[in-house]
Amino acid sequence: MAVTEIALSEPPVAGDATGAPRRFFRAVLRNRKATVGALILLLIAFVAAFPGAVANHPPEATLYAPNAGPSSSHLLGTTSLGQDVFSQLVYSTRLTLVVTLIVSLIATFVSMIVGVTSAYVGGVTDRVLMVITDVFLILPVLPLLILLAAYLPPGVTSLTVVLCITSWAFQARQLRSQGQTLRNRDFLLAARARGERGIYIILVEIVPTMTSLLVASFLSLAVYVVGFAATLQFLGLGNSSELMWGTMLYNAQQASALEAGNAWWALGPGAAVALLGTGFALVNYAFDEIGNPALRPVRRRRRRGRATA
Amino acid sequence: MANAQETHEVPAADAEPLLRTVELTRHFRLGGLFANEVLHAVDDLNIAIQEREIVALVGESGSGKSTVARLLARLYPPTRGEIFYRGRPIQKLRSRKDLLWYRGEVTIVLQDPFSAFHPVFRVSHGVMRNLALHRRELSRDERRQEAARVFESVGLSAKMLSRYAYEMSGGERQRVGFAQALAVRPKLILADEPVSMLDVSIRAGVLNMMAGLRDQEGVSILYITHDIASARYVADRIIVMYAGHLVEAGPAETVLSDPKHPYTQLLLSAAADPRDHVTLISADSGEPPKVVNPSEGCRFRWRCPHAIEKCSQVTPRPTPIGSREVACHVAVAQAEGVPLPAETASASNS
Amino acid sequence: MAEPLLEVDALSVDYLTESGDVRAVDDVSFRVDEGEFLGIVGESGCGKSTLLFAVAQLLSPPGEVAGGAVAFHGTDMVRLGREDLRHMRWRDYSLVMQSAMNALNPMKSVAAQFSDTLAAHGGATGDEARGRSVEVMQLVGIDPVHLESYPHQLSGGMRQRAMIAMALLFTPQLVIMDEPTSALDVVAQQSLMTKVKDLQHRLGFAVIFVTHDMSLVSRYSDRVLVMYAGQVAEAATTDAIFSEPRHPYTRGLMSAFPSLRGPRRELLGIPGRPPDLAHPPTGCRFHPRCPEVMPQCLTIEPDLYAVGQTDVRCLLYVEQAKQAV
Repeated sequence: MAVTEIALSEPPVAGDATGAPRRFFRAVLRNRKATVGALILLLIAFVAAFPGAVANHPPEATLYAPNAGPSSSHLLGTTSLGQDVFSQLVYSTRLTLVVTLIVSLIATFVSMIVGVTSAYVGGVTDRVLMVITDVFLILPVLPLLILLAAYLPPGVTSLTVVLCITSWAFQARQLRSQGQTLRNRDFLLAARARGERGIYIILVEIVPTMTSLLVASFLSLAVYVVGFAATLQFLGLGNSSELMWGTMLYNAQQASALEAGNAWWALGPGAAVALLGTGFALVNYAFDEIGNPALRPVRRRRRRGRATA
Repeated sequence: MANAQETHEVPAADAEPLLRTVELTRHFRLGGLFANEVLHAVDDLNIAIQEREIVALVGESGSGKSTVARLLARLYPPTRGEIFYRGRPIQKLRSRKDLLWYRGEVTIVLQDPFSAFHPVFRVSHGVMRNLALHRRELSRDERRQEAARVFESVGLSAKMLSRYAYEMSGGERQRVGFAQALAVRPKLILADEPVSMLDVSIRAGVLNMMAGLRDQEGVSILYITHDIASARYVADRIIVMYAGHLVEAGPAETVLSDPKHPYTQLLLSAAADPRDHVTLISADSGEPPKVVNPSEGCRFRWRCPHAIEKCSQVTPRPTPIGSREVACHVAVAQAEGVPLPAETASASNS
Repeated sequence: MAEPLLEVDALSVDYLTESGDVRAVDDVSFRVDEGEFLGIVGESGCGKSTLLFAVAQLLSPPGEVAGGAVAFHGTDMVRLGREDLRHMRWRDYSLVMQSAMNALNPMKSVAAQFSDTLAAHGGATGDEARGRSVEVMQLVGIDPVHLESYPHQLSGGMRQRAMIAMALLFTPQLVIMDEPTSALDVVAQQSLMTKVKDLQHRLGFAVIFVTHDMSLVSRYSDRVLVMYAGQVAEAATTDAIFSEPRHPYTRGLMSAFPSLRGPRRELLGIPGRPPDLAHPPTGCRFHPRCPEVMPQCLTIEPDLYAVGQTDVRCLLYVEQAKQAV
């Protein structure tokens, strides 16, 4: 029972998308975590979109003195082949970000379909889908990858495929739980009562009410994918000639960068991965708080004037 | 009343009611796969609804009344028994076309005006979907016009079509629920506690609207409620349920002015009227039972001040007394002038 | 006249929201004497629940008391510190909130929750606690064997009565109830009310009973307060209000109940809906919905006028009140 008995308007139900963009924007500004997270993401997106505006050297040109430490013209030093580390970092942003987003989108989508169908249809379908999900959940990822590495051509595509396969299962269970709580809500009963088909109900009636959970799933996945993609590439499962932060780490490791004195070759991409992950994570926290007022920090407000005109 | 006579007469062509149930039963299995507990939500229900009438289905929670609505709306199948709509057995409907036909004839309005609407879409969503599914003959523009017309017929302005559910009050939302139901041009609306969650001053408007639907649009309504006073206000006939059984049914005024079943009498004495502050307190402090794996016998016997031995041995069936039916051994015996065996205390537990 | 048990004087409560402050309770005054049963009646949005929270000192941000006082036996509760309040709570006054039966911890037995409550407010422990728990369960008519049950094993009516038993653990002088019967059926409601009234006679506590259902208070209360849009619309003895309701809103409420006896009349209800308290109507807050509205109602805000035994906030009675003085 709402304590606030002002008029008869209830607080918006979770998943209420009306006027959401504007409200969301204001909420982001007001929440410190969200603002910082959003700024990080915007910065990284900008760098991904306009690398030329930020980096001052071509990333792959082997023009410079190799293994140099940081200096004014090479902010993060150079690689063992004489490439500017900073520029490499900057130009790698785009592919890294794109892969992260694509994998997160696909995995969220798949987990949504599986989770919601499972919840809505129930019965045998539910059990079968959950068994499949569990299998994917407990797949030992690294052995699988090593196996696949022998057969798949190294590179971004394989990486994307592998990441999608191994990351959808976790969220599927969560979305299924949420779907189950919605299952007997009256508006779904009403949809059934008027004769809507099952597929319609899943896509049009259920999924839109889960937007906040879907966004949260997406953001959590993104945090995971950022780190895991880099890990996989570091282990050699990427294509070292592709420009991504993970491949930079691989190359740096291969060239023993830390011993050779240009540690920034490894630290740079490492910090970038951490930064991107943090950005997603902060926005994720804030999104929770925006969507669920109970989680907001209670701040004493100062008294303002009466609301009447 | 209707169904009692039907078993004894050859039904004439125009005596077929709009909707009729025969021994309608619905059980739910409780617990896991190996549990042996069966909840009897509705047992052996025989009711009939005619055209252009409002029938009130009255009972407390656990009486089975909401289950009846969901059975009639085909939200789940009955465990036993049949439902006939215009003489057609609806359990046998299989094709999508037939099913859609039925859903366009019989619609349901749900109880909770706060969760009955999709939180993301405007309130026009339900109406427009109903029109798209059931009134295929209309073009897109005609559907918009029809949506506006239907809103107005429930007392809402057409401008409200573009509102969101959370912008409207409980009473307004309930009217939208009726508008959605009306959009398909149904013959029967199943209204599951449509006013229970509304403020008292708003109920009158919705109840008056329901009576208007019967009078002007020729729609029948099954009005499900626990509030016997509002049942009196709108209903032509009343059916009283207790623990899954029909206990009394008949014309509203008859049943309410002279209730024969002890449960109906209890309901009436408990229903309060603010103008009537004479204390009519009953000593009853019991509650409707959860009917799990029940035995034979009347399910009201533990709370009944008139229970006799027979009540714990034989389940009373609805029997005609005058223009109504009553499922009570004592009441039937009294009506027929048969002397009663000595009353035992109501604790004839078996 | 004896000192009242509870005296609320010009209490106002505001909610501090993004778009400004909203006055949910506006200048409400009333008193409750020992052993009295006061019914507070009103519909959604009238402020009655907020009023209760304020009286029970349970308001939390963004709600806060904007003015007035709440005095229990003469002590102003609004100014009391947390420790003193905690001492008073449950011993001197206790609460049964709406859907209280959902406020029971599903993981603990009823007995455990009773002991917790006793311990939290400095009451008995161990065997004494057990004895007291048995006593209160018997008071409300539940077999004490149910003390070992978990809440989900009890029916709705029993859970509600268990909450009332919990409220009586210290035999407080005042029990505040917020719609305690809203989730119960008609028969269960009546039996609960009867039980409460019976307990009141036996133990002598006062009751503040908040509800939207006038019929519930008509048989049991001594006095009734009708609230609308955060203000007191009418206050009188139960007999006076039911036999001669003065405020058009009260009359509207009464006529919204379909009657069980007598001829069927047309139900009118009250058209429109309660005002948005962020932007209340000018003048009398009820005027947009009032069947007896006069031109001055749009501009003049009525005070509470005393007419006979009744206080009524309506300009229809300005003259009568003046004459009585």
